[in-house]
Amino acid sequence: METTLFHVFRNTPLGREIFMQSLYFCRGINASIVVYIPEHTKFLMYFDNDVVQVDLDESYRTAPATAKAHALELAREAELDPRFVRPKNFTASTLPDLPVDFDFMCCPRSVSDLSSKISLGHIGPKVRRIINAARFPVLIPSCLFKEWQSILVFFGGSVNAVKALKLGLRLGRETGKPVDLFTQADGMPKESFEEILVNRGMDEEVSQRVRTWHFFETGSFEHNLYSVPHNALTVMGAYGHGLVRDMLFGSTMETIQTHLPNTMLIAGPNYVMPR
Amino acid sequence: MKQFISWRHPARLLPFRRDDRMLLIVMGIIVGISSGLAALGLNISLVFMLETLHHWRHHWWAFLLPAAGAMLSSLFLEKAMNEGAGHGVPEVIYSVSRYGGLMRFRSSISRLVASCLTIGSGGSAGPEAPVVMSGAAIGSNIAKLFYLNDRQRVTLVGCGAAGAIAAIFNAPLTGIIFTMEIILGEWSMVNIIPIAVAAVSGAEISRLLRGNSIAFESSGSFHIGSVDLVACLGLALVASMTSLILTRMLRRMHGVSSRVSVPKWVRAAMGGAAVGLLGFLVPDVLGEGYHAIHAMIQGNFTTGLTIAAIACLAKILATSLTLGWGGSGGIFAPCLVIGSFAGLAYHRLLVFFMPSVTWVNEGCFALLGMAGMISGILQAPLTGIFLILEITGSYEVMLALIIVSALSTTITHYFEPASFYLKDLTERGQLLRPGTDARVLADMTIREVLEKDCISVPPDMLLREFLHVVKRSTRNYFPVEDPDTGYFLGMVRFDHVRPYIFNTVMYDAVLVEQIMDADVETVHYDDELADVLHKMDATRCYSLPVVSNHRFVGMVSKATLLDKYRDELKVQTTQRM
Repeated sequence: METTLFHVFRNTPLGREIFMQSLYFCRGINASIVVYIPEHTKFLMYFDNDVVQVDLDESYRTAPATAKAHALELAREAELDPRFVRPKNFTASTLPDLPVDFDFMCCPRSVSDLSSKISLGHIGPKVRRIINAARFPVLIPSCLFKEWQSILVFFGGSVNAVKALKLGLRLGRETGKPVDLFTQADGMPKESFEEILVNRGMDEEVSQRVRTWHFFETGSFEHNLYSVPHNALTVMGAYGHGLVRDMLFGSTMETIQTHLPNTMLIAGPNYVMPR
Repeated sequence: MKQFISWRHPARLLPFRRDDRMLLIVMGIIVGISSGLAALGLNISLVFMLETLHHWRHHWWAFLLPAAGAMLSSLFLEKAMNEGAGHGVPEVIYSVSRYGGLMRFRSSISRLVASCLTIGSGGSAGPEAPVVMSGAAIGSNIAKLFYLNDRQRVTLVGCGAAGAIAAIFNAPLTGIIFTMEIILGEWSMVNIIPIAVAAVSGAEISRLLRGNSIAFESSGSFHIGSVDLVACLGLALVASMTSLILTRMLRRMHGVSSRVSVPKWVRAAMGGAAVGLLGFLVPDVLGEGYHAIHAMIQGNFTTGLTIAAIACLAKILATSLTLGWGGSGGIFAPCLVIGSFAGLAYHRLLVFFMPSVTWVNEGCFALLGMAGMISGILQAPLTGIFLILEITGSYEVMLALIIVSALSTTITHYFEPASFYLKDLTERGQLLRPGTDARVLADMTIREVLEKDCISVPPDMLLREFLHVVKRSTRNYFPVEDPDTGYFLGMVRFDHVRPYIFNTVMYDAVLVEQIMDADVETVHYDDELADVLHKMDATRCYSLPVVSNHRFVGMVSKATLLDKYRDELKVQTTQRM
């Protein structure tokens, strides 16, 4: 089955950088790109157990007349043939419903705030809700296009971390790029992490495919993040704990996204690994 | 921790795992009480606003009050809540039809505040549709909180709507019937019980906080004679024509206002100001207008036939100006007011032409007019009948109510096949009632019926080699793909090969590309199955290739589709038991 990445196109220089990241990602994993050029500043995404209204910032409606041509031009440069999605259903006349049956979605760190507010440590509430509700992982690109040369998976041993590891290994297989692991031990011995891999039947694949396992028993997490290569695609799982923390993901993800400028691929709690 | 997870996922608890009815009843009580409280909150806020603004109504600038209210309402919806204006019931029906009742949390409060501003300031609209929207959103979000499935969520959306209607009118039966007839569009045992419980909870909370009173009680009982029953036929016609005028005027106003190129809040203010000016001439058009209904049913509306007819038309105009130009609210209350004016005017016309006949009290015709109007515009006769019975307590007029409601629905349906709430959805093909062909097809995707066991062949393959492929294949369709790019080039059907099978000379002379159909109709797996079936019928094909990004993905066939269709239909109809 064809793998697809969904991208909401922004016809600005920042939007171009983000689109180029999407195109690069699609080329790497041989996926098709599905592009939405917003006709309204808001849209709805109906997930399995949540409906997310995304209120785009005004820059998404910049020069709509040239948006498609710009997107096509960039896609063709990347030798990709984009499919433009036009909403078929509308909850209200100015509120289209977008499909959600994609394999990946690309979101900047914020879709509702002005570009000037985008910085490290800020992931917008809508992007968080999409990550939390979606069955697909969300690609959060860095602000400037940069080709990534390796894949680094944050592995903390949780169920979501295992899903993220499977996702990272899959990307490694499809792109042919080396896969690294990053673990902050928090007092747990390496054997317990290896046991998790054995229990999940992933030990063999990890030993074959993983180039380096950055395993930190000491030092602060923030400090250890320096060992993440600047040109790595970081893959991590995000999860909710309850009523309040459903909205605020685990602290590990908060720390990572605050300190790392890398492109991130985040698998939320409802992410389903394709068979 | 495990126990905590269980409470977030109550459907997984042992008592509810086999049969979730008890769970839905418990949830129904919670939703009914919550939506009832929301409805009462709006009611109390409206009374407060109307009483506060009442002292300013005699000033010359009072026409600006509805303008300010509509403007603030529009600004609140647009800027603060990021929602579009409107009464919202179609949105509830849409979410139930298409997305298993998923609704945004903001809808729980947005319409309550917006409609309070519009109606409280004098705009001609009703609070019932906003409370339905709010109740439904509360039900949806409670279901979301507890991770209930689509079917359970739809039931809770119904519970919210029923609780809200039951609370605002103190009419639990109407809440149940409105929900089943209009919101869900199906009568299933699994839904009725939780919805009934929610309606009772909503009504009880209303009685507890507001007292158990009948909204529009008549001064005495109505004794309907056979002459009155005959006159009901004419009243049904009047009510249905009035509902047609209101429906078309509302739509026309939407069209006119959308052509005015000013911000939405300015548009809403313009509509509100027009209503305010109309209110100087006919004060009964302002707000919900329930005081006028009281007067008519009690027989205290003393003005003559002409004034009653003018008031009826003025209320239609005011409602169209309020809702059509961007104010927030529903059409329930205006329908009741317009219907009672129409009934009253009709009664006075009868008395004028046939003064010697002993007619029933004019309040009875006002009441019947309300039923006719509600039944006509919503095309929901049971809702019309039970609403009037419960809000007036006049059970002795049951027979006349049935006649007027049934006839009004039938006549209106003749001119407008879809009700006011469903018209837009029907036109956009988005009304998907459970168990219908459209709903079954909408709930299936091409991915679910995709057949991937086709063997692809290159265009330069010789017929001899191709026949070997045919021999080991179980299918009659063979996609032809470019060996370099993987692009789909066309399709070879077994029928194409048949002329060459018995001519062995051709085996090494004919290439696949010579016999393939390069102009074959294709579908994409994002296409809707209803469209795919149309395409199959148009091209007289039983199978179509699914092509994405120039690549062959699989085949979709009518046979597999029918199998899956039956499975889906079984699921949808079993859920209704």
